[in-house]
Amino acid sequence: MAQKLVIDPVTRVEGHGKVTVHLDDNNKVKDAFFHIVEFRGFERFIQGHPYWEAPVMVQRLCGICPVSHHLAAAKAIDQIVGVDPDDLSLPAQKIRKLMHFGQVFQSHALHFFYLASPDLLFGHDADPLKRNVVGVAMEHPKLAKKGILMRKFGQEIIKLVAGKRIHGISTTPGGVHRRISAKERNYFLDDKEIPSADTMIKWSVEIIDFIKEYHKKNKEFLDTFAAYPSGHLGLVKKENGFLELYDGVLRATDSEGNITLDDVANDDYNEHFYESVEKWSYLKFPYLKHLGREKGWNRVGPLARLNVCEGIETPLAEKEWLAFKAETNGKTNNSTMHTHWARLIEILYCAEMMKTILEDDDILSNDLVRKGKRRKEGVGIIEAPRGTLIHHYEVDDKDRITRCNLIVSTTHNNEPMNQAVRWVANNVLSGQPKITEGMMNQIEVVIRAYDPCLSCATHALGQMPLELVIYDQYGNIVDEKLR
Amino acid sequence: MKNCDNKTILIGIGNCGREDDGLGWAFLDEIKSKLPSHFDVEYRYQLQIEDAELISHYDAVYFIDAHKDTLENGFNCEKCIPVKTHHFSSHELPPETILFLAESIYDKKPESLIIGISGESFNLNIGLTEFAQQNLKNAVSFFEKNQLHISSLQAQ
Repeated sequence: MAQKLVIDPVTRVEGHGKVTVHLDDNNKVKDAFFHIVEFRGFERFIQGHPYWEAPVMVQRLCGICPVSHHLAAAKAIDQIVGVDPDDLSLPAQKIRKLMHFGQVFQSHALHFFYLASPDLLFGHDADPLKRNVVGVAMEHPKLAKKGILMRKFGQEIIKLVAGKRIHGISTTPGGVHRRISAKERNYFLDDKEIPSADTMIKWSVEIIDFIKEYHKKNKEFLDTFAAYPSGHLGLVKKENGFLELYDGVLRATDSEGNITLDDVANDDYNEHFYESVEKWSYLKFPYLKHLGREKGWNRVGPLARLNVCEGIETPLAEKEWLAFKAETNGKTNNSTMHTHWARLIEILYCAEMMKTILEDDDILSNDLVRKGKRRKEGVGIIEAPRGTLIHHYEVDDKDRITRCNLIVSTTHNNEPMNQAVRWVANNVLSGQPKITEGMMNQIEVVIRAYDPCLSCATHALGQMPLELVIYDQYGNIVDEKLR
Repeated sequence: MKNCDNKTILIGIGNCGREDDGLGWAFLDEIKSKLPSHFDVEYRYQLQIEDAELISHYDAVYFIDAHKDTLENGFNCEKCIPVKTHHFSSHELPPETILFLAESIYDKKPESLIIGISGESFNLNIGLTEFAQQNLKNAVSFFEKNQLHISSLQAQ
């Protein structure tokens, strides 16, 4: 009898989504889908608002990565007032980057320690009562303490720059509102009130050592689980192709490392991307125009970024990146579970960059805002924790926003996540006479590797009302399972 | 930035954009200018795991939140006992779990009270109902007369 398995909601991710797996009469998987069931509408209701409100309003898309939306919108609005990224004052650039590195650092720490580590530490099949962050805190208190303080460090950096940890305001068109004081920066450097930036670097190295050790013990799982060929997309520094999170050019490669998007300027993104829609999801499916819907989709986020870049500017992260690349003999890495490893290398990169910027006297300067000649359009592209984030605004002569296009990171990962879900459905669930909770969790494990931000800041702990409903081919419920 | 030498923290929980759900924050708004220097306040939409680390630096913690039930005098004040609870979402981390984590991870168990203040409407709107405002007044008055005094003595 044909059946449909439903996981609703998917847990330990940001936002709400569900998975359906369609089985045939022999319990073989016919198809599987990752549905995003929320609708936001920001692109529409921001129309008519004055352009300077955009960075403040759009960050309400999310409680985890508001800084990324704030900065992507700010970069676009800079252009509306005639200021290109390179024209921003150095202090403003560095203060914005400091906040951005703090954001990526805290978001990655949140994801690894709170959301992903329970699966790695306890296993897919562990009791959900234990397989959560409270379980991690109980059984691995040293790890939990570090995770908490690393996230806190990133949040405190955001609070320093933007006034508060969530939905603060730092930018103004063409710059930033305020400088950093010497006393404020010493708080992060002197190792007195909170662990210092040096300690963050040290702990970041330790957590990379943890994942490398885990890889040694679980090589087959990390290398092969939901591994599949895909394109990879991210920003790189325009001068040398190195990892770039704040402002660079767009580069994409195919699964073999061949360039498919060759260092394209931000303003030209629209010439290269299309977005398709499917009736079963509110999330669009972006792809490269010249490759088409079937072949033009790309992964974004830590794994993609470490694939498309040619190096990292900070010494410790560069060393770890080289070791990471060596695992695949320098070739493109298509192992989905290696995304965790890549994310931790980025944590180290952010820690090193935060220290570098905090020690830079430019952030003490009052040279904060630039002005230029008014334009009607602006594009801001940034690497958010989860990948390439695109904001595009058009305004009229009365300063009102007339058009807004947002392609958020998780949108790029829509097709990759669906591919991953199908991989697990075909390789784990298909043909099984009985579907266990551990099997269902493996679908969530692979989704979590992408750290999807399905719109807002909802995190689930692991023990949750996961509902599995089995329907017959006529839509009648045959069996239900709740946990 | 918090001065960790301070001994007492008040954590207001809620959302002022949801009518009476803003009672926890409104309590802090009313009381914070009257607090001695060794008191800190924090506004929270929800408690998070890292709040266990925060409260581990204090000797006393007050969690102030809206209460859905109608309470005698409009509020209650109960001792918070550490409990290893388990909820569907980290949005639902209760004070008892935060206290439990502070004790488990940081070996710290600050004196802790939960002040619940009755609200009646939690829709999308800014501002407290008259019912909630009266209950807030009662709770603030009680705190000024009793808890503030007790905690001040504890801190000496």
